[in-house]
Amino acid sequence: MKISTKGKYALEIAVDLAVHSDQEHRESLKNIARRRGLSEKYLERIVKMLCSAGIVSGARGVRGGYCLSRDAENITVLEVLRASEGELAPVECLIREPDCGIVCGECPTRGVWFEMWEIIKDTAGKITVSDIAKKSADM
Amino acid sequence: MKLSTKGRYGLRGLVDIAAYGEDEIVSLAQTARRQKLSLNYLEQVFGMLRRGGIVIGVKGVNGGFKLACDMDEITVRDVLEVLEGEFSIVDRNEEDRQDSVQAALETLLWDEIDRKVNSFLEERTLGSLVREYRRNI
Repeated sequence: MKISTKGKYALEIAVDLAVHSDQEHRESLKNIARRRGLSEKYLERIVKMLCSAGIVSGARGVRGGYCLSRDAENITVLEVLRASEGELAPVECLIREPDCGIVCGECPTRGVWFEMWEIIKDTAGKITVSDIAKKSADM
Repeated sequence: MKLSTKGRYGLRGLVDIAAYGEDEIVSLAQTARRQKLSLNYLEQVFGMLRRGGIVIGVKGVNGGFKLACDMDEITVRDVLEVLEGEFSIVDRNEEDRQDSVQAALETLLWDEIDRKVNSFLEERTLGSLVREYRRNI
């Protein structure tokens, strides 16, 4: 069970926007792609996910481009991962109807997977995009 | 981001043999029936658990498996490491050259999640799962 490149890149994009853009100075996909060493096409797909989750806002035109829709201190890593990766559940049956044939209330392992999921969400929910941006400036 | 069926079904089967077997040998066919798991698959997974020193296998007509040690001495981490390898929320590719953003993500986020999840898995024993299971059935 791993976070895929989608989630990793989504976080990198959010941090990049926190550093290189604001509401008055939007950033182009081209520049983000160049700095991150990613293809514009792939990046666009991820940025769209972040836009529909209300994390990033985009504008067309001469002064167009992308920026974070809120202050980076108010965007958690969990939000970014949810928008790109989904629910982060370690097992499918925590978020969807199980098909394993046993009753969830009698499942010997559901509790441990649930707690594991809570730890992952709790940890990611306490770290903000701004924390990562600040740390990266020190590194 | 999912655990594989090896980890999920292996741990489920293990709680079952500990809960129903105490110190006696339990046949995997019964475990498969109770837990609605494929016997064939369980046999493969229990082969791994035996090689990993978690269970002891006994061959023959009344054969089956039992825990290799006390259920309170076996942690969920031990079991998952045999079946899935060490838990990590991301692939660690040592050769990848990181820039400062990736390094910051690693230090603040990935390492932190791995540390917390692994220490949780180490605190949770098979015994605690068995007692919880007995309360629920």
